[in-house]
Amino acid sequence: MNGQRENLFRPQLMRIAQASEETPDVRTLRLEFRDGKAPPKFEWRTGQFGQFSVFGAGECVFTITNPPTRGGHIQCTFRQTGKVTSALRNLSLGQSVGFRGPYGNYFPMDDWRGRDLLFVGGGIGMAALHAPLQLALDRRADYGQILVLNGARTVADMVYKEEMKEWANTNGVTVVRTVDPGGETPDWDGEVGLIPNVFERLNPKPNGSIAITCGPPIMLRFMLLALEKLGFSPERVITTLENKMKCAVGQCGRCNVGRFFVCRDGPVVTAAQLKNLPADY
Amino acid sequence: MKTNGWRLTETEWRSWLEGLLRAGKSVIAPVEENALRLFSPVTSAADVVVENYSNTQWSPKEFLFPRSEPLLFYRFRGDETELEDPGLDDKEQVLFGLRPCDVAGLGRLDDIFLGESADPFYEHRRKQTTVVSLACDKAEAACFCTAVGGSPAATEGSDVQLVPRAEAWLLQALTPRGEELIAGSASAWTPASAEDWRQAEEQRLGVEKTIERSPLSKDWAPRLEETFAQPLWEKLGQRCLGCGICAYVCPSCSCFDMNDEGNALCGTRCRSWDSCAFTRFTQHASGHNPRATRPPRYRQRVLHKFSYFPLEHGERFMCVGCGRCLKLCPVGLDIHQTVRAAVSKGTPGEGHQ
Amino acid sequence: MAQTLESSEARAAVTQANEWQPRIVAMVCNWCTYAGADGAGTARRAYAPNVRIVRFLCTGRMDPLFIVKAFEQGADGVLISGCHPGDCHYVQGNLLARRRFTMFRALMDFLGLDNRRLHFAWVSASEGAKWSRIVDEVTASVREAGPLPNWGRLGMGMANPAHSSPLGHSAPRLDARVPPSTEDKQSISSHLQQLAADLLRNGEISSVVGYSCGTLPEQMVPTFVTDPEQVSALDWSEHCANNLAVYLPDALKKKGSGKVAIVVKSCDAKAVMGLIRENQVKREDVLLLGIPCTGLWQNGGLALKCHSCSREVSPSSDWTITPNGAQKGAALSEAERKVGADPRDEQIGILESLTSQERWDYWQRQFDRCLRCYACRAVCPMCYCNNCISDKHRPQWISTSFDGKGNTAWNIARAMHLAGRCTGCDECTRVCPAGIRLDLLNRRLAREAEIRFDYHVDEDVSTIPPLTSFRPDDPDEFL
Repeated sequence: MNGQRENLFRPQLMRIAQASEETPDVRTLRLEFRDGKAPPKFEWRTGQFGQFSVFGAGECVFTITNPPTRGGHIQCTFRQTGKVTSALRNLSLGQSVGFRGPYGNYFPMDDWRGRDLLFVGGGIGMAALHAPLQLALDRRADYGQILVLNGARTVADMVYKEEMKEWANTNGVTVVRTVDPGGETPDWDGEVGLIPNVFERLNPKPNGSIAITCGPPIMLRFMLLALEKLGFSPERVITTLENKMKCAVGQCGRCNVGRFFVCRDGPVVTAAQLKNLPADY
Repeated sequence: MKTNGWRLTETEWRSWLEGLLRAGKSVIAPVEENALRLFSPVTSAADVVVENYSNTQWSPKEFLFPRSEPLLFYRFRGDETELEDPGLDDKEQVLFGLRPCDVAGLGRLDDIFLGESADPFYEHRRKQTTVVSLACDKAEAACFCTAVGGSPAATEGSDVQLVPRAEAWLLQALTPRGEELIAGSASAWTPASAEDWRQAEEQRLGVEKTIERSPLSKDWAPRLEETFAQPLWEKLGQRCLGCGICAYVCPSCSCFDMNDEGNALCGTRCRSWDSCAFTRFTQHASGHNPRATRPPRYRQRVLHKFSYFPLEHGERFMCVGCGRCLKLCPVGLDIHQTVRAAVSKGTPGEGHQ
Repeated sequence: MAQTLESSEARAAVTQANEWQPRIVAMVCNWCTYAGADGAGTARRAYAPNVRIVRFLCTGRMDPLFIVKAFEQGADGVLISGCHPGDCHYVQGNLLARRRFTMFRALMDFLGLDNRRLHFAWVSASEGAKWSRIVDEVTASVREAGPLPNWGRLGMGMANPAHSSPLGHSAPRLDARVPPSTEDKQSISSHLQQLAADLLRNGEISSVVGYSCGTLPEQMVPTFVTDPEQVSALDWSEHCANNLAVYLPDALKKKGSGKVAIVVKSCDAKAVMGLIRENQVKREDVLLLGIPCTGLWQNGGLALKCHSCSREVSPSSDWTITPNGAQKGAALSEAERKVGADPRDEQIGILESLTSQERWDYWQRQFDRCLRCYACRAVCPMCYCNNCISDKHRPQWISTSFDGKGNTAWNIARAMHLAGRCTGCDECTRVCPAGIRLDLLNRRLAREAEIRFDYHVDEDVSTIPPLTSFRPDDPDEFL
């Protein structure tokens, strides 16, 4: 940029290589770099996020849903909610999407080697769990038992339906699906119940395991209570914060939770950290 | 006690500015338009207005952090998109006539924009900027720089400072950049005496005495953080109407929004000032808003200035005490009073807010 | 032929490129004008090709922002056309539109838009000939006006010391009045406090919205009192500027079983009644504590709005508080008072005596300074929308950047949304940090409604705001 510092706000140009509709309003995109390969030194860690651009509509924050073990491209899963996500839903294969990132902190997967892992996701919250779960499956031997609890309002709203079958077939992985009462179909063979209730019914033992949970604010609130009730240590309960973001580099002042900037100090936080943060999210 | 520096007449410093203009620099100084004092680039040193001048209506931050600026340009070609960075102006700019509080404000903006991820646009403009401050020979009712650790004659952040005195103007260059700025003209100036500076110091103390608002302690930063969940904020923020005046006239407020504006062929991604007082500031696309009503938004502003920023950036308040928000707030919210009230758990005086 | 076809075509292209062609956007209704234009086509009428048609179902759908957008995007002229009054496919769409055009046209003329650029017409489905004639006339008119000068200056809106306002330096106006004496003010305050305490204690009200001393000299600020022990906070002076009606809708949402009492000057009361008229507030939920205000003093002089005020207490007052006490009802003094001319009208007159280019320059300079702080919106009791047009982003009607275009669009939208509803309290102007003369825009439109539709904003809640009603014989000589 004229020999000055690089433009912080300039995205990488990516191309939509694949698109799949998880549900009527949730889409997963696989984005590849324009010239087919990632720029040198492009790396990210599980849990980091990016700002995805639809030029003309704006930018939107999504977690990078593929782990570094499946690199060379970027994946994201999002639900159509507003201006940018609606524009993203209307793009077709080959069209341009901008990517700015990776930003934020990450899940310390290396620290969790040898432990059992629990993934509890509500609705689109599963997208935030996708990368750490896939990493754990790719490095299966590094981790203990894995429990995946995927909840949605209705059967139609459940994401990663196909992938779940793959996960369930992996050694030492238990997949439990649940829908809210009233959301089941006559042939539903999963659980019925609100996620925290189903979780309590499963009654997993803490045993030093790591519990990662993401979902809508209300689900999160009750999940954290349930985890506490079942004796999970707050340092080993992990979630991600989701505040509205624009610059994603700690300057625009929008995503702060007290002193904590979600874009810079998060989005990954432990329940212990959360207790010390003001309820500004 | 200063012993160097110069003693100038008004004609001398105006002619110095005229010289800077002729040398191709942009000089930004207080001018008067429609009875408003505003900072503006001037084409002639005669346009600079400093009499009856306490401070400008708005801060000078827009010359480092513009109200709106492009971040990048995009153009569509079929499925492809082309991106282009905006060009950066190489013109040197001299910000003249900033009060010490506004200079302190620039320092706060430096903390935010020149941190870990430095903003290239701000950084570029900052490098092109020389600051000539104007010490205060009197304080206004709304001033409270001393309450937040500042002073009417503070020199931190200034490259050159002018001090108005009874019969003359004292000038000192404070940095190599400042020295360079006066290099062409200084030889013709009269040196200032030690007595000149002693009187200037007395003047400073005199002005400080007139500032009535009491100092705010740095210890209050963590105490304020603790008030977050307390109901006192409902009362303290009750009359806020949610406009953006306080953030926009403030020398240290720096929050911004990013938007794409264009058509089917091309467009610009630009950033513009934003205010935490607006409803949409933290509103998610889903409709969820962590700060859904005005009291939490008012709380955010106060805590950001007096708690979060000092705890993060080493004990200096983000507020510089210029008093503009006090004067211009449509409902007379007084951030100094609010901080005192919050710290003393909501007893601001007469049992009302 | 000595010259090749190619080179003569090339020459024609060069000639055409050097000759500016007006670009005109025509917004037409589907049922009449569009059919009429279609008819002109089938009848093989030749007419100027400079018009691009945007089809609407009805002129009643047209928002002023559409016209603003056309100019923003580079149109040199705009033509609006629909069914004749009485023939609207939707019965009354064009009748409402006619009023909207009237106000918009007055506003744009006041802002200095060359009136050769903005045209309105009634063209029916059978009037193909009229359509082609109108297009030719409009094109000629816009051609005469020339290319549109930059609509909205770009850039940071630098202050220009050479720019002297045609309105001159605002100086305090000479008026025989003086501010109230300290004793009078203290009397009013104590009667008000006593009344408030009584009403709170007997449960008739659950809260009082009034004024209190601020922290700056002479400053008065809004205050809310719910506890009879705290009524000493309530105060009164000639600096009680805020229009407290802005707090009513929220205060009513939170109120308990009693009413909300509100201290009102007569300008504020008009706003309260406006909120009642527009169903935002119920009359039975509020108690108006009227004070016969002797004028608002700011910057050393009487506020402009006060010069033509009768200084009577609002006739809708439930209580009147004077230095002598608090009495029920609206105690009108019936004193003989000389009421001055409205200085705002004089200033409007000065602007209207300028050429349209001079006026355009004046207002563009004002809008250039606009910081988009939306304080004008925040303090206005009549701006109560939950989703302001400026916040809508699908699509983004008003450009978010603080450049001339977005600022112009915002100020036009604000003025139009208040047209016929603004009560003239001038709070927007008092609070504007950029010193923009919003009061003149508001007053100009209020006068247009008075002259054209005989509509006066007063305290009668049964009247219908002018832009939501119409008369079959509304004036439309400009069409």
